[in-house]
Amino acid sequence: MKRILFALFCLIALSGGAGNVDTGPAGGPLVDPFPGDPQAIENGAKLFKRVSCHGCHGGNARGGTGPDLTDDEWLRAPGDEMIFNVIKNGRPGTMMSPFRDDLTDEQIWYLVNYIRDLGRKRKAEGG
Amino acid sequence: MHARFVPLFRSLLFAVSIFSVSAQAEIVHTPVTDAMLLDAAKSADNWIMVGRDYAGTRFSPLTKINTGNVKKLVPVWSFSFGTLDAQNTTPLIVDGVMYVTAAHAKIFAVDAKTGTQLWQYSHPLPDEVGKFMCCDLGNRGAALYKDKVIFATPDSHVIALDRATGKESWKVSLADWKKAYTMTVAPIVVKGKVIVGMSGAEYPTRLWIEALDAETGTQAWRTYTIPGPGEPGFDTWGITDADAWKFGGGSAWITGSYDAELDTIYWGVGNPNPDWDGSNRKGDNLYTNATLALNPDTGVIKFYYQYTPWDVWDYDGNNEPILADVNGKKVWLHGDRNGFLYKIDRTNGKFVWGKEISKVNWATGFTPEGRPIVNPEKVVNNEKKVMDVCPASEGGKWWNPMSYSPATKMVYVPSREICAHLKGGASERVEGKYNLGLEEAEWIKGYGQLVAMDAETGEKKWTVKAPSPFTSGVLTTAGGLVFAGTPEGIFFAYDAKTGKELWSYQTGSGMVGSPVAFAIEGKQYIAVPSGWGGWTGWATWGGKGGAPHLKDNRKGGYVTVFALFDK
Repeated sequence: MKRILFALFCLIALSGGAGNVDTGPAGGPLVDPFPGDPQAIENGAKLFKRVSCHGCHGGNARGGTGPDLTDDEWLRAPGDEMIFNVIKNGRPGTMMSPFRDDLTDEQIWYLVNYIRDLGRKRKAEGG
Repeated sequence: MHARFVPLFRSLLFAVSIFSVSAQAEIVHTPVTDAMLLDAAKSADNWIMVGRDYAGTRFSPLTKINTGNVKKLVPVWSFSFGTLDAQNTTPLIVDGVMYVTAAHAKIFAVDAKTGTQLWQYSHPLPDEVGKFMCCDLGNRGAALYKDKVIFATPDSHVIALDRATGKESWKVSLADWKKAYTMTVAPIVVKGKVIVGMSGAEYPTRLWIEALDAETGTQAWRTYTIPGPGEPGFDTWGITDADAWKFGGGSAWITGSYDAELDTIYWGVGNPNPDWDGSNRKGDNLYTNATLALNPDTGVIKFYYQYTPWDVWDYDGNNEPILADVNGKKVWLHGDRNGFLYKIDRTNGKFVWGKEISKVNWATGFTPEGRPIVNPEKVVNNEKKVMDVCPASEGGKWWNPMSYSPATKMVYVPSREICAHLKGGASERVEGKYNLGLEEAEWIKGYGQLVAMDAETGEKKWTVKAPSPFTSGVLTTAGGLVFAGTPEGIFFAYDAKTGKELWSYQTGSGMVGSPVAFAIEGKQYIAVPSGWGGWTGWATWGGKGGAPHLKDNRKGGYVTVFALFDK
């Protein structure tokens, strides 16, 4: 039970006062509230493991059972809003489940930023 | 419609309806009796359980397609499942009707001569179920009994359908899938009971094997694969974590075998949880990584043999036991992910021998009693990355079933030579969440192989190498053939005696299901599913992996049926 409580504490701590982020006008396109923010990227890295994203997408998101989230094909095609929506609502009929019950909107944006950051680093490495 | 065309239309309608009736009349859904199941090995035309017979040989006595004419094998029909992801199934055929499951909880009845769909059934899956399954939304096949076809779903339902109509006869839920109790197993029916096993050992679970009444779905017995307090083996879960046994995994997702004479079911049990972090479960962790011998009436464990005590490599000993009578000895043959092929006396569970299928360095041999002698240099731990552990977690031999040919007395093992660098990590037990106990994993690029081994001695008779592991199940036939497929989607036929390649065909997608042979009106067919998916992290993990060329490997979902070109 202590471990479960600890896990819940970590999730709450990572959310950092969720619910107060501005993600664009109501009904309009979603906007990343933390573009490139180092703290958001760090939070996203922790969540990536804690929510078990790595179980499918690999420890550094370079693919496993699920697709590589850092290669050009993935990073060029979807916008931030699409990545956000896929994490939140899943892709019905695939292994990609909705995480809306596990993550706040703010936490999902942390993950989007982490994935984007991995892509930028990979590109800089020439890979 | 103009009046003068009405009589013509009625005549055409009548003709069409007569044609339909006559076409339908050819379809007979023969009841599958206990006697048929017991004699499945002798029924050359049919394939009525996933292992073909209770021994699980996957050996067909059909001979019309053979080493002399297999090069004339051509596709005669293909059938799309209309769904992607891991097509892990083995099709079943009885008197010209194929029953085949697909990923995402689908099942089809198909005219096996023409590929015409007779009916389809789809169990609606919750959107979230994927995150409670380690390794895709696949299914390994169905079971036939009397007028029913029975299969399991990812969200832990077992469903029996009327074979003629596809309508539900009964449907039961065995567990809470939101706590990662899930199902991919193909059932087997023994003495009127549907035997199934659970998946979920990558999560904190305590799993089991269960028998259901085939007529009603009512539970007949449930045997946990991890002993509870007071039961033999309970004391093998260490002393540092009092709850280790409650969440110790022990999955059972590979179909077992049955010896009617010994009245014993043999069923494999997989890895403990957490998979790689053994620090809080020091002990043998019974009955993980073992084959259990069970009383089919009660589920009581008679005896067992454990392949990998205290598994910290995720060697996951679920794999099938093939029952063979070799030189008058009743044994089971088991190819394990830990890299060894085992021969075990099936009257008492005693070790006969273990022989290397692939390179093994986690163990240096066996004690006379058959306990592996562990190499301390290759024990995965949380302190230091262990380099070049052989084999990697998938083997050796992965889960894809091998085949035993009583004609050649050889066992044909789909295999791989892939090792890994591994570091365990602290685990965190939260129900419904992954609990791998893995800090780092790096699969080392390797290659695939199909290995023929002598069932008497374990000697390797031949090996075929390939760029990728053989990931389909294996089929052998009395025509002297061995069939196996690859992640690239290539389906091969080899000479069973020599390993010489005789034929191949590109099926369109990677193969993780199993081929079968059957006959209708004297004509022999070979059927094989294709559709890439499942746990594929070993191939491309971290952008590297054991077979990095399989990145973005094409998905699909088909069964393709072949016959000899006869025009």
